[in-house]
Amino acid sequence: MVAAATHEGRARRRVAGPLYAALPTLVLIALFVGPMVILLYYSFQRYSLGGIGGWTFDNYTSIATDHTYAKVMVSTIVICTVSMVIMLAIGIPLAYILAFRTKPKYELLLLLTLVMAEELNPLIRIYAWRMILGRGGVINWFLQAIGVIDQPIDALLFSSTAVVIVLSTTYISFTTIPIYAALKAVDPDLLEAADDLGATFLTRFRTILMPLAAPGIFVAIILVYIPLYSEFAAPALVGGTGGYMIGNAIQEAILESGNRGVGSAMSFMLLVLSGAIAFLGYRAARIRRLQAT
Amino acid sequence: MAAEPLELGRPGDTPALRLPSAADERRPPGTSRWATGARWTFLVVVMLILYGPLIVLALFSLNDSIVIALPFKGFTLEWYREAVSNGLVRESIKNSLAVAFVVTPISLLLGTMAAFATTRFRYRGRGGVAALTGGPLVVPWLLVGVGALLFFARLDVPLNLRTIGAMHVVVAFPLVAAIVSARLVRFDSSLEEAARDLGATNREVLRYIVLPHLVPALAAASILAFSYSFNNFVISFFVGGFELTFPIWVFSTLRHAQNVPIVNAISTLVSIVQVVVVGVAWRLWRRRSDRTAATNEAAELLW
Repeated sequence: MVAAATHEGRARRRVAGPLYAALPTLVLIALFVGPMVILLYYSFQRYSLGGIGGWTFDNYTSIATDHTYAKVMVSTIVICTVSMVIMLAIGIPLAYILAFRTKPKYELLLLLTLVMAEELNPLIRIYAWRMILGRGGVINWFLQAIGVIDQPIDALLFSSTAVVIVLSTTYISFTTIPIYAALKAVDPDLLEAADDLGATFLTRFRTILMPLAAPGIFVAIILVYIPLYSEFAAPALVGGTGGYMIGNAIQEAILESGNRGVGSAMSFMLLVLSGAIAFLGYRAARIRRLQAT
Repeated sequence: MAAEPLELGRPGDTPALRLPSAADERRPPGTSRWATGARWTFLVVVMLILYGPLIVLALFSLNDSIVIALPFKGFTLEWYREAVSNGLVRESIKNSLAVAFVVTPISLLLGTMAAFATTRFRYRGRGGVAALTGGPLVVPWLLVGVGALLFFARLDVPLNLRTIGAMHVVVAFPLVAAIVSARLVRFDSSLEEAARDLGATNREVLRYIVLPHLVPALAAASILAFSYSFNNFVISFFVGGFELTFPIWVFSTLRHAQNVPIVNAISTLVSIVQVVVVGVAWRLWRRRSDRTAATNEAAELLW
């Protein structure tokens, strides 16, 4: 009887699964796949004020041959990579402290403050940094007050440094939480056993913590590093010319100069890059996890 | 994945809780005074980086000067008065709230359906559904926005709050799906089987077994979906046409002016509301279970 019931259940489930999947899938095909296909389509279209006209590869060749695009791409890669490294340098120790070196009471509180930081509006945070880094801002005021400088430093704001500062402080929570979750799965006894057997902190870090934290680190990279590449509000508001990123170039091409072809081509290249990073990240995360267990 | 909640019978188990006793020949690793001091310094610096700017922002909202620069000139609530009576501010907040209140329930529904479809059933194409649902989580929002703009323009769909809402749903519901499926995967299906053996119908199983198990995930997901929508700038910027949402208002105001005290005032207000909402939700959640269990659950959900 039980077997019959299970069998019946299975048959019902075979229908119910696609039934549940139908609506979400339709929405995604219409409003997510559709826009991505349009992006790809436009990137291969000749575009002029009169509208699109005919297939072409020009959009990609003009990006490849134009030096300004190459420069923007290089500065984007530098800004994103430096920000990511800074965030990992803060996020890994922070996750370690949260997972192993905090009393449960504080652990929850710290976790809450991290989550909260993530919930607050990123634009508000960008604006807040502008008040700190600006000409009349807190840092300039402080440096003048203690007599280190007599003229305010203008370069703090509207530079690639400002973009790195803003970006790397915006996504600290996103970086820390996946690493924390991965470390949380490590048995604290393991660390203690290693310690009892005479392993130094470095050995424990290298042989136990890093391999076990690795999946979390890759997830953090997928969650944070990819969106960094398409950042556009922060460079627009604090970047000036030095902090101009590929996201700004896309926005300008699409909305301001009206060159949808080049804008779509850049977008599509960014999409391929994101896909590649995500793919590598997922593979790395899975392989490491298998090794760890 | 995450460690089981600690049993009450094993008090000294976590290193942080462990008290040095006479039996210990040396202190457990990382409990020396120096290490503790270094950890606290680090935590304070991180908190300053995360919240310092927002405190500065709040302080300047009370400063009696149109120029945002130190030193402080005096105390005023003028900027708050101006902010709440400003027509554009009111319109932008109203629009953002309206969109978020519509986007959240739709995302919860679609996300839960997608989570059920990808975790509880086996059928051909399940992998495809899962990959498709993960897509918007991996593709940068800028590209979603740009693509959607071109897509709507191509189909002659007028850009307004509806297009904003539709695209917010597209990025928010996969997040809901991820959170809910993480919870469903950990669901002990023997509970469900037991209920069925005792004669429960499908609907009863869903109502009394599955849904209660999902409540924390759904609560967390709805807060995240709401703030995804309320805070979203890039997508709204591209598919919003001439409509104003709060982030768009902040952006365009800052684009044209250096620093504006009413932005400080309204931003402070919005942040306070967000902090209160998340804080209250957290308290409600914590009441359900003891601290360690709540922490573990949080870790599970976030992972």
